[in-house]
Parts: sequence; structure tokens; C-alpha cells
Amino acid sequence: MPRDRRSEDDFAEEIRSHLEMEADELESEGVPRSEAERQAKVAFGGATVARERFALRHRLLRVENLRQDVRFGLRMLRRSPAFTVVAVLTLAIGIAASATVFTWINAVLLEPLGGVTAANRLVTLETVTSNGEWVPNSYPDFVDFRDHLKLFDGIAVTHIAAFSVGRDDRAERVWGQLVSGNFFAVLGVKPEAGRLFLPSEYGDTPGAYPIAVISDRYWRSHYAADPGVIGKTIRINQHELTVVGVAAPAFHGSIPVTSFDLWVPYMEQSALNGVQLWMLRDRHDRNMLGIARLKPGVTEEQARGELKSLADRMAVANADVSEGMSATLMPLWKSPHGPQGLLLGPLRILTGVCVLVLFIVCANITNLLLARATVREQEFAARIALGAGRARVVRQVMTESLLLTGAGALLGAAATPWLSHALHYFMPPGPMQLLVAMDTSPHFSVLAFTAGICLVVGLVAGIAPALQVSRMEAGARLHDGGRGATAGRKRNRLRSVLVASEVALALVAMVGAGLFACSFQQTLRVDPGFNPNHVLLNQFYLSTNGYSLAQRKEFCRRIEERMTSTPGVTDVAYSDGVPLGFEPSWWEELRIEGYAPKPNENMNIFRNIVSPGYLPLLHIPMVEGRNFTDQDNENTSHVMIVNQAFVQRFLSGRNPIGVRVHGWGDWFRIVGVAKDSKYHYLGESAPAYFYVPFRQVFREDMNLAFYVRTPGDPDAVLSTLRAQARAIDPNVTVFDAAPLKEFIGASLYPQKVAAGLLTIMGVIALVLAAVGLYSVMAYSVAQRTQEIGVRMALGAQRGQVLWMVIERALWLTGFGLATGGALCVAAVKIIAGVSFTNSGMGTNMRLLGDGSMNGAVYLTAAAILMVVAMVATYLPARRAAAVEPMRALRTD
Amino acid sequence: MPTHKEENDRIALLQGTLDLLILKTLLFGACHGQGVARSIQRQSEETFFVDHGSLYLALQRLEEGGLITAKWGVSENNRKARFYTLTARGKSELTAKAHQWNRLTRAMNQILSPSNEEA
Repeated sequence: MPRDRRSEDDFAEEIRSHLEMEADELESEGVPRSEAERQAKVAFGGATVARERFALRHRLLRVENLRQDVRFGLRMLRRSPAFTVVAVLTLAIGIAASATVFTWINAVLLEPLGGVTAANRLVTLETVTSNGEWVPNSYPDFVDFRDHLKLFDGIAVTHIAAFSVGRDDRAERVWGQLVSGNFFAVLGVKPEAGRLFLPSEYGDTPGAYPIAVISDRYWRSHYAADPGVIGKTIRINQHELTVVGVAAPAFHGSIPVTSFDLWVPYMEQSALNGVQLWMLRDRHDRNMLGIARLKPGVTEEQARGELKSLADRMAVANADVSEGMSATLMPLWKSPHGPQGLLLGPLRILTGVCVLVLFIVCANITNLLLARATVREQEFAARIALGAGRARVVRQVMTESLLLTGAGALLGAAATPWLSHALHYFMPPGPMQLLVAMDTSPHFSVLAFTAGICLVVGLVAGIAPALQVSRMEAGARLHDGGRGATAGRKRNRLRSVLVASEVALALVAMVGAGLFACSFQQTLRVDPGFNPNHVLLNQFYLSTNGYSLAQRKEFCRRIEERMTSTPGVTDVAYSDGVPLGFEPSWWEELRIEGYAPKPNENMNIFRNIVSPGYLPLLHIPMVEGRNFTDQDNENTSHVMIVNQAFVQRFLSGRNPIGVRVHGWGDWFRIVGVAKDSKYHYLGESAPAYFYVPFRQVFREDMNLAFYVRTPGDPDAVLSTLRAQARAIDPNVTVFDAAPLKEFIGASLYPQKVAAGLLTIMGVIALVLAAVGLYSVMAYSVAQRTQEIGVRMALGAQRGQVLWMVIERALWLTGFGLATGGALCVAAVKIIAGVSFTNSGMGTNMRLLGDGSMNGAVYLTAAAILMVVAMVATYLPARRAAAVEPMRALRTD
Repeated sequence: MPTHKEENDRIALLQGTLDLLILKTLLFGACHGQGVARSIQRQSEETFFVDHGSLYLALQRLEEGGLITAKWGVSENNRKARFYTLTARGKSELTAKAHQWNRLTRAMNQILSPSNEEA
């Protein structure tokens, strides 16, 4: 109020003039001047007191009022602990949920990389295949990009790698990144100790840079933050590298929410992993994740244009491997590689659900405050009559609402760091889960968000009760004891609308949860086309032991031999890729004899490199031809097995056996057709797929998965396997083992997480809506006690009274359900469009399968809500019907 | 209404009444605080004693509430004085409050009048 700005002096002046005028008047009535002045002062009741009161009003009014409001508010909240506890808990749930989701969004989307400079100018660089899919880059392509693009302040590439650190059997697996030398410079990372890579180490000479940078976390956990480690050597994959520095504590690598501990120049790949030099020069070898920094003032659009025109020229110049390829830029969070691809879909849905829950929380708090405001009408009326001023009373209500949300926010904020660790559960078991790390130190943006949510909820929830109080008429309220006629009805309508909308929102949350759970169940029932039961899966990281290719093949052969002769083992096999795992699935560009590809047709076909035992072990039947045998080795002609979908797509109407297919620079002869199975997702429709023999195609940069089938518990053979591996080579200690059944569950993770989270949120919504319904019905019954008493005195039956109360709740719930149903249909349309991405060729997978119009889910959710509503109503209704008519009539 | 509440309510009503009386006085034209005090005392045939300090705080409150506005001027006997004028909002507030008051007193009269006492 601008009028408030009246100065103290002005007020003093007015009082002085009053005293003079009053004295004048008294004098004119015959009082002597001095006596007149004294009387004027007495009548004023102490001019100085009034002046002081005025001064206080203006100088300290706000602070003092606030203090009073808060103190009074706290007293009122203490006086009704049940109300306070319900309200604060409700708020804490809502606020903790939103703050947690925001923490995740912040970590994945908003501040994905810690410890870097000007992150807003960093972008992901992706190669684009001829049919528009995003794939990583090859090292030679990166060199061209790095050397020819003008609009960038550097382009770097990285390759995730598991290192074996330490000596022999004391070796430990450490996850890190093989990076281009300019990696730290492009990201703008500062060293915590020592130095990072120098420009003289940015070169492309294989094996010339035997150096490493470790993370601050690793430095503290393994070297007790001893600066003496700088310049010392560290044994990585049986090679000595010099530790040159420690990265800044906030830096955890170039992939969101993933923590790496070791960075080594990519040019050491040949020494560390035995990768052949020609493979470093192979443009086909696309396994480098690109990250680039835009020059200041350059837009993403301009940079993308420059990159695309260069990449298009390169595609022509290197047509043999890159025909039709291009490249593009995208924000870091959009990159299909790394956990964010999995997290985005569920996070988006979670955000929506959080807003939903926050709405329900607001509606609940509003309802509770409205009910209380009505109960406290006499108090407010008295305060207004006493001259408190409507604004002051409104402020009082708002203060209480904000106090409640403040308490809720404190509780919620305390729970948030703890809850945000749950991000682990979003990731499938295995390396990804180990790597996901949440920085839970309080971020300013998260705190600001929580405070903002708290303020918004406090204001939104307080506004209706405050308006109600401000409309109150002091006189009217004081003498009708708080039972208003028209105003009351209007208020009841507002509360009814609130409850109906809570029911509607809860229905949306529950239907969402139901649909996700159903879709998840459906997926679980899908037959993967192979038998994952009783199979132990082991992943060896042989390259980290300094094995050459021949040594690796020899290791596989020998361990297979040893395990086959182990009692209790029925089958043994090994392969490069694991079906339905979360590792990227690889592909090869094929030429098929007698098949003319359509223009721009993607001839990159997914493949697996397997031992002869692989298909029988997984119970994948051959439909035609033969399986691989031990005779299909380095010395015999190359052979291939394709799946039914492959035959259908490329060889329909032909006899597939004997057809020649070109890949890896060689011609392969198809010798068999295997039954289709699931390769990447249970939900996929069979893609063309092929198998080639391990011994003919296996290369240094490939993985090695080892399968053992047993009649019983697969974990039982683990110790035998470990012992056998150690018997062959005592250095081989580092490998992961898990039952295949568990491992392939990974492909279901996003769906499982979405279903689980939504179920939790659905239950929260249901409970909140029940609390809302109960509070409204209980209140309206309390209000109608007198009416009910009259009805019963006039002979109404208990049943009739019960029905009267329940009928209203039925209407409310029914109305809410109808609205909610309509909302659901709309919401499901949106949710059905949300997908997730895995790292294999940017496959988009729907989180929600078919059956989004699953009637049973809608009906069940509606029925559950109806039952809950009835229970929430029945309790107060029964109390109403039990009222003694005479007591009710006397109630006032 | 339970009887034990009347004690509190009387104070409240008296306080509320002061606002009403000020508004009513100002309906006849702009007036300074001292004039308002005198006028109320005179019109109520000296039944009400107006505490001048409270009066000024009430005036201040009404001004802040936008029911009256104030301007410095010169009084009838050439003293500098702050003159208060009723605003449109003040007028409607007065009508509403007066109506309420009349209802209240009519109801009170009906209950307290001698004919009812006999019944």
C-alpha cells in the first residue's frame, strides 16, 4: 500500500495541530488556556504514546507483524498436532519427491558435467549413418574434424574402458576413459594436483604417451591424497604409466551421472589392449564418443552446418567405408550413449507424475486449511472486529500455510540426498550401475528449486483459505457461530471441487501405474527365443591382462576344454555379444550375393561372434543347414549362420544355404539358418541377424562372454570356473559373473523402473486422495450434525442418514472419476510417445507397450478409488448416524 | 450465543463502532480529526467518550484501508490541520456497515422490547 508511506513527523504535526485546536475550543468554552492545553492532552490519552505507537507501526510494523504472525502461527499449529502432522507429512512427501526428481534432472540434463568450464558451449558430436541413426566416431574421422573445423574451440573423443590396475593377482578393475590428448583442454578441467595432458601430448603417435591422470576420488581412496604420487608409475594392464596429475574433485568424466577414475591417452590403446595399429587408422572402427566446444559467439546451428559440410565431403572422399554417412551436433543430454539415454524417458514421466502429486498435495493442504479456517471463523472474525485489518488476517493465514510448507520442505530437503541415491536402481546391474554416481552435495539450483516449490505450494494452498477469511463479514460471523448460509455453501462447493479433482488426479496416477505394470508383465511373458535359465555368464577382460589375439583364442579354447570336463557342466560356449544385455550390440556392413540394396538402404546388420557351442547352449534351434563346428577355424573357408528374418529380408524365395555374403573384407558362405530370437529387447520385432565363428572373426577390440550351463544353480560352478581360469593363468582374476537370467533382465530395466516408480506414486496419490475425501466428508458431517439431529428427531432412520451422507460422496467420487478418466486418455497418449534409448545404434524403445486402452486397468483403478472413497466416507457417516438427536440439536 | 462471550464482544463491537461513527461523520464533508471527535461526542449527546489517541489510530487505519483520504489544509480558526474525506469505497463500506448495524439493533430491539418480555 503506497499510502503507508506517511512519515512520523507528519503524524506528530497532526497531533500537535489537534492539541492546539482542542485547546482553542476548550478556551472558547471558557477554560483558561493553560488548563485547556492540559485537558486536551489528557483527552488524547498521552500524545507521546500515540506517536510511539504510530512510529512502531511504521518502522517495525512489517518485522513485528511477521514475527507475531509466525509466533501465532506456530502456536496454532502446536495446538492441533494431528492437523499439523498430516499436513507437514503430506507436504514433505510431495516436496521430497519433486526435489529428488529435480536433483536427477539437474544431474542428467542441466549440469551434466561437473568440474568443466562453460559447460553451455559443450556439445556431443555424433556420426550419422545413411539411414539417420547416431553412432560413435572413428579415430581418423575425429582427426579430420579436429584439424579442419574452424568454429570449434577443440573437439575431443573418448572411449570407455575397464582397466586392470596393479600387479598380477592384486590387480583391481578400474573404469576409465581412453581419451584424445586434448580431452581436458576441450572440457576446461583444472588439475587438483600435478598437471593434465600437455599440448605436446595431443599427438596421434601410437604408444608415445605412457601417462595417466587419476580422479580426485581415486587419489584420496588409494593414495590418501598424497601429492608424492605425481610422477610415480602405476601399473595398468601390465604396462607402466606415469601419473602426471589428479583432476579437479568435481570432475568425473565426460558422461553424465557416471564416475570414472582414470584417463589415459587413446594412443596407448595399442600398448594397453593389444589393438593393432591398422585398427586405430580404420575409419570403419567407430567407437569414439565425441565431445566438442563451440567458439564463443558461434551458434550450435552454424557449427553443425560447418561439421555437416565437412563430414559430407569426407563421406565422398572415403566412399568405401563412409558412403552416405554424415555427422551432427547435439546437446550433451541428447547423446544416445551413456545412462542419460535410459534415464530420460523415465525422468520425463516422473516429472509429470511429480506435478500430479504436487497438485494433489496442494489440493489436500488447501482443503485442510479451508476446514480449519471455517473452524477458526470466530477467531478471525474477532480479530477483524478488533481492528486487525483484513490484510493482516489474510497474511496470518498465508503465514500459517507457508510455515506448514516450510516445515514440509525442510523435512523433504533432508530426505532428498538420501532418495537421490536411488538413481542406482534405474540402471541395470553390471558396470553401468557401479559407475552411476550421484553428487549429492547440496547444489544451489536444487536448494533454490526446493525453496521455490515450497513457496509456490504455500501460496497456492493458502490462497483459497485466505480469500475465504478476507471475505468474512465480521459482524455476521460473530453472531451466527460460524455456520454461514450462502457463503458456507460456496465454500463447500470449492472444497467439493477440490476433492473431485483429487480423485481425478489419483485416478490418472493409478491408471498410469496400472498400465505400466501390465505392459511390464506382458513383456516378461514374451519368449526370448532362447533359454537363459541355469546359465552362468562371465565377462572376461583379457585384453587388460596384456593378451595378444592368439593368446586370447588359446585361453578361450583351454578354458572351454577344462570346463566341459567339469562334472555338473552340460554346455560351454563363448561369444562377443550377450543377447538382451545392455552392452552395445555391434553390426557389420554386408554385401549379399544376388541382393541389390535399395538406394540408401542400411546394410549394417547386427551380428554376434560365437563359438560352436553357443546356439546349442542357448537352445536356439537350427531351422536349416548346420551349426558351426570346430572345423570352422582360421584355416578353413569362412562360414556364416543367419536368422529367419535375414532370409526373409534378403533371400526370400531362394535357398539360403550356400549364398555368399561379404563382410570384414572376406566372403562368407551361409551354412545354416537359426530360429529368430530376441537380441536387444524383449519387445523388438525380429531384426535381420547373423552369427560368424569366433575363431574366424574375433579381433583384439572385441569382448569375451563365457557361458556355462548347469542342471542346477548356475552360481554353484562359479568357484570352479574361477579356479580353472587361475590354473590357466594366475593373472586372470578380473571378471564379472552373473546368472544369464539376471543379466538379461537388464534390457527390461527402464520398463521395470517406470512401472515400479509409478506404482509408488500411484499409492501416494491414492492415500492423499483418501485423506482429502475423509477430511471433507468428516467436516461436512460435523457441520450438518444439527440438521441430522433434526432429521432423526423427526423419525429418519439410521440407514437413511447414512445414505444421505454417502450419496454426496458418491457424487463427488463419480464426478472425479469421470473427469479423471478423460484426463487419463489424454495422458496415456502423451506417455505412449515416451521412449528410451540404448547405446546400440540409438534404438528407440517405447516404455509403454500396446494395451494403453486396457479397460480392465481403468475399471480396477476406478473401483479401488471408489472403495477407498466409500471407506473414507463411511466412518464420518456412521458417526453422524450414531448422533443422539437431542444432543445434536443442542450443539452450537 | 453463549453468554460468557458477551464481555469480549462488547469491546470488539465498540471498537468496530468507532470506525462506523468516523465514516458517518465524514459523510457530511471533509473534516479534521479534532472536528470528528467533537462531532461524535456532540451527536451522541455526550454518551460516547472518544479517546483521541485511538481516534487518530482509527483514522490512520481507515486511510490505509482506502476508505478515507487526507490532505493538509487550514482550519476555520486558521490552524494548520489534516482534513479527511470519505472515498467511494468508504461510502459503500458505510452503507454496508450501517445496514448491518440496523439489522442488529432491530433484532436486539425486538428481543428486548417490552411486548416480547411478556410473551
